[in-house]
Amino acid sequence: MTLKEAYEGLGGDYDEVLSRLPSERLVKKFALKFLEDDNYGKLEAAMAGGDRESAFRAAHTIKGVCQNLAFNRLGASVSVLTEALRESWPENAGELFAPVREDYEVTKAVLSRFAKETVS
Amino acid sequence: MEDTEKKIKILIADDSEMNRAILAEMLGEGYEILEAVDGEEALACLDRCGSEISLVLLDIVMPNLDGFGVLARMNQTKQIEEIPVIMISAEDGAEAIRRAYNLGISDYISRPFDMEVVRKRVTNTLMLYAKQKQLLEMVAEQVYEKQKSNTLMVNILSHIVEFRNGESGLHVIHVHMITKLLLEYIRLKTDRYSLSDSDIELIAMASALHDIGKIAIPDEILNKPGRLTDEEFKVMKTHAAMGASMLEDLPVAQGEPLVRYSYEICRWHHERYDGRGYPDGLKGDEIPISAQAVGLADVYDALTSERVYKKAFTHEKALEMIVKGECGAFSPFLLESLTELADTIREEVEKGPADYSGEVKVNIERAEKMLKERQRKGEAR
Repeated sequence: MTLKEAYEGLGGDYDEVLSRLPSERLVKKFALKFLEDDNYGKLEAAMAGGDRESAFRAAHTIKGVCQNLAFNRLGASVSVLTEALRESWPENAGELFAPVREDYEVTKAVLSRFAKETVS
Repeated sequence: MEDTEKKIKILIADDSEMNRAILAEMLGEGYEILEAVDGEEALACLDRCGSEISLVLLDIVMPNLDGFGVLARMNQTKQIEEIPVIMISAEDGAEAIRRAYNLGISDYISRPFDMEVVRKRVTNTLMLYAKQKQLLEMVAEQVYEKQKSNTLMVNILSHIVEFRNGESGLHVIHVHMITKLLLEYIRLKTDRYSLSDSDIELIAMASALHDIGKIAIPDEILNKPGRLTDEEFKVMKTHAAMGASMLEDLPVAQGEPLVRYSYEICRWHHERYDGRGYPDGLKGDEIPISAQAVGLADVYDALTSERVYKKAFTHEKALEMIVKGECGAFSPFLLESLTELADTIREEVEKGPADYSGEVKVNIERAEKMLKERQRKGEAR
């Protein structure tokens, strides 16, 4: 799998990110770094515990990272969640979190596979 | 080795390690990157490294203390005036950006980061600040140079007057120091005299001319070792009005603040607060603050120095005599200031003139601390 294919798999815009971070080496480095980022874990815990502030901050951070890496699919769902969490705890929190979880799992799966293939 | 020392320091404050890494990578090898994971760390870093940091890239949404909190503190400490801050946040609401600009950020970089744009904005901001700093330094340097040669000319002139007088050249320097300390301190205590920095500089400079009228006094009287007769004292006293009229007759520079202050000082430095001085018998604050301050500085230094007609008194004795009104009559406010400043004055005078450049900054800063302490205690009581 090429990096471009990985981007297609996780719903990102490879050409766009390459125009801003003008080397494939850098894009790859940061895309893979996404696997180490612990903000999703923090978001999940805060969502489960009803901790609005921490959930907002974690979602907000993931949103920023997605913008930078042009992970557009996850970026879109997490952006909706971020805005919903900004002022108060949304009644449909679970509903809003579900697509984030789904998009994150896909992103993670694709990146993991890409990582494994790149190393071997 | 030289490299690491000379690299420009940039602080990146962002709670996402990923974002910090992307920014650091984008900025490249040319900078030394410091990282902070939240607002508190950013402030600690600013405290530690202060103006060594040339630029801050600041995220807004962070745990513990957010970016607005960092900006608020930088405003309090005035660091915002020296260190440019570029906001980097996924926070794209116009409200947040406006608020950050109002708190003094120089620029705003929105996400997603574009390497070219990040680099350009960072170098532009760094260059603007560097240029501004350089200009400020150049202006300060020029003002200082000009001031230095002006002071030198005035000192030469007044030394000539003193030379004939048989006084040491130290008197002029001491009067300069004490006048400046007094005025700086008075300004800390009250705004009643509305003294600007430049007023204080000019009055201190003009203080050197307080006795120029003495060149018109005959030698036998000026340098008489014994007590002056009433008739001789009358002649001696004319030096005040004499000095003033010399300045009045200056063919040039009439209306210049320096000439105006010199006139006030020459004519009225022997007036007394109770109205029994000469030549005009001015009373209270009819006597300009310039002449009051120089008059007091003159008396203090005359008392603590040896003269043809007297020995030197100690600092303590001189203070006591002045406060008791044994030597002139001064405003209670001025006497209070003198008493509070006594230690500072003694220290400054004892330091000697070797490296005196007209600066009493360090001492006045300490005096300011003392005054604040005093005011604090006064309020507490």
